Amino acid sequence: MKRSDRITAVVILTAMALVAVTWIVMHRTRGTVAVVRVDGRVVATVDLTLREPQTLHITGVLGPLVIAVDGKGSIRVTESTCTDRICVHTVPARSPGDQIICVPNRMVITVEGKGTGIDALAQ
Amino acid sequence: MRKAIAPIVALIVVGAGLATFFALRASPEPVTSTYFLMDTVLTVKTTGGDATAINEHLHALASGVDSMTSYYKSESETVRVNTAAGRGPVSVSPEYAALLKAAMAVETIDHGETFDIAIAPVSSLWGFSTKDFRVPAAKEISDTLAYSHSDQLTIADSTVQIRDSRARIDLGGVAKGYSLDVMEEYLHTVTPQPRQVIVDFGGNLLLYSGGQKHDWKIGIRDPRGQGIIGYVRSGDAFVATSGDYERYFERDGTRYCHIIDPSTGYPGTLNQSVTVITGMEPMQGAIGDALGKVFFCSTAETQHSLFPAAQNQGAIGIVIVDAAGTRSTLGPITFVPTTDQ
Repeated sequence: MKRSDRITAVVILTAMALVAVTWIVMHRTRGTVAVVRVDGRVVATVDLTLREPQTLHITGVLGPLVIAVDGKGSIRVTESTCTDRICVHTVPARSPGDQIICVPNRMVITVEGKGTGIDALAQ
Repeated sequence: MRKAIAPIVALIVVGAGLATFFALRASPEPVTSTYFLMDTVLTVKTTGGDATAINEHLHALASGVDSMTSYYKSESETVRVNTAAGRGPVSVSPEYAALLKAAMAVETIDHGETFDIAIAPVSSLWGFSTKDFRVPAAKEISDTLAYSHSDQLTIADSTVQIRDSRARIDLGGVAKGYSLDVMEEYLHTVTPQPRQVIVDFGGNLLLYSGGQKHDWKIGIRDPRGQGIIGYVRSGDAFVATSGDYERYFERDGTRYCHIIDPSTGYPGTLNQSVTVITGMEPMQGAIGDALGKVFFCSTAETQHSLFPAAQNQGAIGIVIVDAAGTRSTLGPITFVPTTDQ
């Protein structure tokens, strides 16, 4: 193999590697995370793949909310001062697209991440 | 030979640069906005176009529908009509009259047996308007049911009259779907056109890709847990779901959901969820929303016999999960169940 051929090969490989890296960076997907929003503003982001349980204390529009992450991939609301307590009774969220909503507190927990491949959830 | 490398390198670098540029340009980041109204959440996800401005405008349109149809807001047309019950005709806007007519057209497919905008006084007995839930006595329900039918309504060109002073109408069953209609109408007029807009209004969807004919994958929520039970594919559409799992209360182990069966005056118990897909035609958002209630309060046999009438109203397909959790579909749609892991 000529020296020039080797250089050509290196250049081509480098270019391919660059394209590959760009591709991966652009299409990078996060693991499963729960995003907690109050009035549309993100107040907490929790990695649901972490193994240790944790408790979040956040302030909704109405009052304080306690959110529990069980360390097994689920998140739920354990305490809220709202009257209907729909949020507390909602099934724990764990899959991308799952939501827990507290309208009086204007609080939404949304599980985001790859997995279901759906565009929207009819519910 | 060395000289030959330079053009190759240049070509590759320029090629990679162009590829990256077009890849980035081809996929603008979606802008997601969340709003609270009509006692639920409105989430708008817009990709391309002036996304932030589009989201804000869609929210404003939904607020407008809320102000027009609300059962509670003192300045709404619904409250004006209800307050005048038993007294005489009230003039309403052309939009309000059109919405009433669309809702009534759905009622006629089974003579108001499964959907009735005048069931409101019975819903109030159950406490769904005040969230002060209770199970009313049978006598109370039958007495109230006697005047809770839309045959109490007289709709002329621009006036509405409720004959019995105790009767009330509530457009809550079509207001979210109608909001999606108004949004869709606006989206067609926007320049530059967004590539995609996904509107989720309390679980009712508007899937818009303009002329791009996107093939949407619509997840169907598991009515007894989180996650999905499967998905259906569709082009641009309205998707309305009536379920017993979001607004309900429990007494002595029995679940009472917010959708009242107008033929009995009791919460519907025949199904867990019904998802109706309608196409991008005028009023199809509102009609799909109303059809959801019709099929939610129907038995499997009635669902089959009513489906041709629903198709005439614009329904493309319906996904049903009955009270036993059995799934079925009506119409030319394919439901792909999630494989259990």
